[in-house]
Amino acid sequence: MRKLSLEDAVASYIQDGTQIMFGGFTGFVREPMAFAWEIVRQGYKNLINPMVNSGFSTWLLHATNAIRVKEDSWVGCGEIFAKLDLNADRCLKTKSMLVEDYAHGQMQMRLLAGALGVPFMPYWGGMGSEIFKYDILGENNLRDGKLFPKKKYAMIEDPFYDQGKVPVVPALQPEVGVIHAQKVGDEGTVRVEGLTGYDKELAFACKTLIVTCEEVVPEISLREQPQMNLVPFSKVDVLVEIPWGAYPTQVPYYYDYDPVAMREADRIQRDEEMMNKWLEEWVYTPKDWKDVMDKIGGYRLSSLTANRFLGYSLKNKRGEVLPPEIYMPLQWRR
Amino acid sequence: MTFDISRLDLIPDEEADPKEYTLNEFLAIAAAREVKNDDIVFAGTGLPMVGILAAQFLYAPKAVVVYEAGMFDGKAVHIPASVGDQRAAYMASQLGGLTETFGFYLQRGLVTLGFLGGAAIDKYGGINCTVIGDYHSPSRRLPGGGGNPDIGTLAKRTVFIMVQEKRRFVERNSYTTTPGWQVWDIERETWVPKREVYPKQYANNGPSAVISNMAVFRFDDKGEMYLDTTHPGVTIEDVQKECDFELNVGMHKGVTKKPKYKELVLLRKIIDPGRLFIPAKLPKLRDDIEEICGGTC
Repeated sequence: MRKLSLEDAVASYIQDGTQIMFGGFTGFVREPMAFAWEIVRQGYKNLINPMVNSGFSTWLLHATNAIRVKEDSWVGCGEIFAKLDLNADRCLKTKSMLVEDYAHGQMQMRLLAGALGVPFMPYWGGMGSEIFKYDILGENNLRDGKLFPKKKYAMIEDPFYDQGKVPVVPALQPEVGVIHAQKVGDEGTVRVEGLTGYDKELAFACKTLIVTCEEVVPEISLREQPQMNLVPFSKVDVLVEIPWGAYPTQVPYYYDYDPVAMREADRIQRDEEMMNKWLEEWVYTPKDWKDVMDKIGGYRLSSLTANRFLGYSLKNKRGEVLPPEIYMPLQWRR
Repeated sequence: MTFDISRLDLIPDEEADPKEYTLNEFLAIAAAREVKNDDIVFAGTGLPMVGILAAQFLYAPKAVVVYEAGMFDGKAVHIPASVGDQRAAYMASQLGGLTETFGFYLQRGLVTLGFLGGAAIDKYGGINCTVIGDYHSPSRRLPGGGGNPDIGTLAKRTVFIMVQEKRRFVERNSYTTTPGWQVWDIERETWVPKREVYPKQYANNGPSAVISNMAVFRFDDKGEMYLDTTHPGVTIEDVQKECDFELNVGMHKGVTKKPKYKELVLLRKIIDPGRLFIPAKLPKLRDDIEEICGGTC
């Protein structure tokens, strides 16, 4: 395992055309935002980006047209954006980006197959959808059997229990996988708190695993309860310690999502000129990630700091009004 | 100011007047009524989430909710803003990831009810949530399937919450992301009944109801949509006007039940007091109800 700075990790492992996949979930939880931000700053283009579902990190890359081909189930951003990623919409309209559609579970099974080291995985979900009818990568002659599978899916006859035809989806082993964790031991053991999404499958499927984390902790502190750890140290290639590295998405037990930043991002994505101004202000001008956090300000960040028991913040004004405190007896549901 | 849950018991068991609630509240309560006590529900963000939380509180306390990102039976006390929100994981029975939700829970057959939405629905319950217009050069690209195709094909029953518009209720979708009772057979290149293609454990799973802002629809033995009930103040003709195919109205049962005061207070005071999914500006309730809940409903 190499411990690198954010700048060095991006410069050493990303190039134009790298096949890269991000962890986290739908623009909301533990997205490696700082890492995506640094990719945009260093200006890499033509990336290949398979995703189980897109989110906020990819929203940033779509804004600068950095991705050439996606295989994805959901090209959206967080729910606060009404799920729409208008940057991706622009890339698709100009045909500078191609998207191969899959269903959510199909992408997950592709990644699981990659993690297990088998060539494909049977999966019934979504059979009979028109997702099966169109083959964007095939139409563009990209199916080389290496970077992209030779077929989008195949139908096979169940050889064992006579259940008829079953769809199989091809395994996925991205060149580079990036996940954001809460804690990593100084030898590399990864602990993720809260939901895991597809991060475990990504960690084992990818060829090079980069973990960005909130804090590096003594390895011994993660070894007392090993059942809580997600990835053993041997699978981690690169470690980057970057506090608030998933902001403005949520990192359970560390900080909440920032609805103010998300609503602002939704507002500015509606206009390309405003989007570019925002990129100038928030991506290109700041010296480093710390500078971005300083710009947001300590008080606002402290309102996002998670309640230690619940794992999210009670001081975060999420909706249109700040809700009154709820009286929470031990048995509050009847 | 805190709200004492026990005050809900003081509210009379009466239906509210249509002037006293908003559409979002109506839809959430209509969705809640589809939940049975022994259901394991796969719910999406927004009104489905409000609906399942209300159902658990009122008439299906044992119903279990599964959220896409990995939570099994979370007991959220603060409404989650997303299915990935840590709030949805509070007091969950198990917390995992997508292999659990799509594999172990959904494909393995645990999930009995799915709550979904979409941009358009067809006569057979097929959903489009991928593109508006032509697939190769769409006028608007939508996020795409996400878990919609998986849940829609594998959950035992599926309930859709939709906006009633002529362009959204169509004979056949321009692109079917989630097949309903008819599926695209890739080898014969035609639409075939779901039962002919899927193995027996999933053959009878599919759309069971559609709740729109005008009516509730269900599906007959042939897998075609029919009008079940119309919402208060809406006529059959109004619904037909906002539906592109000829609607089967032969089994129309009358008017959809209105929300009760207790249900509205629950939504406003307990489930979504921060107004994430129901509007901030709400019509006032009847005076005696307002008095019971402190005059701020």
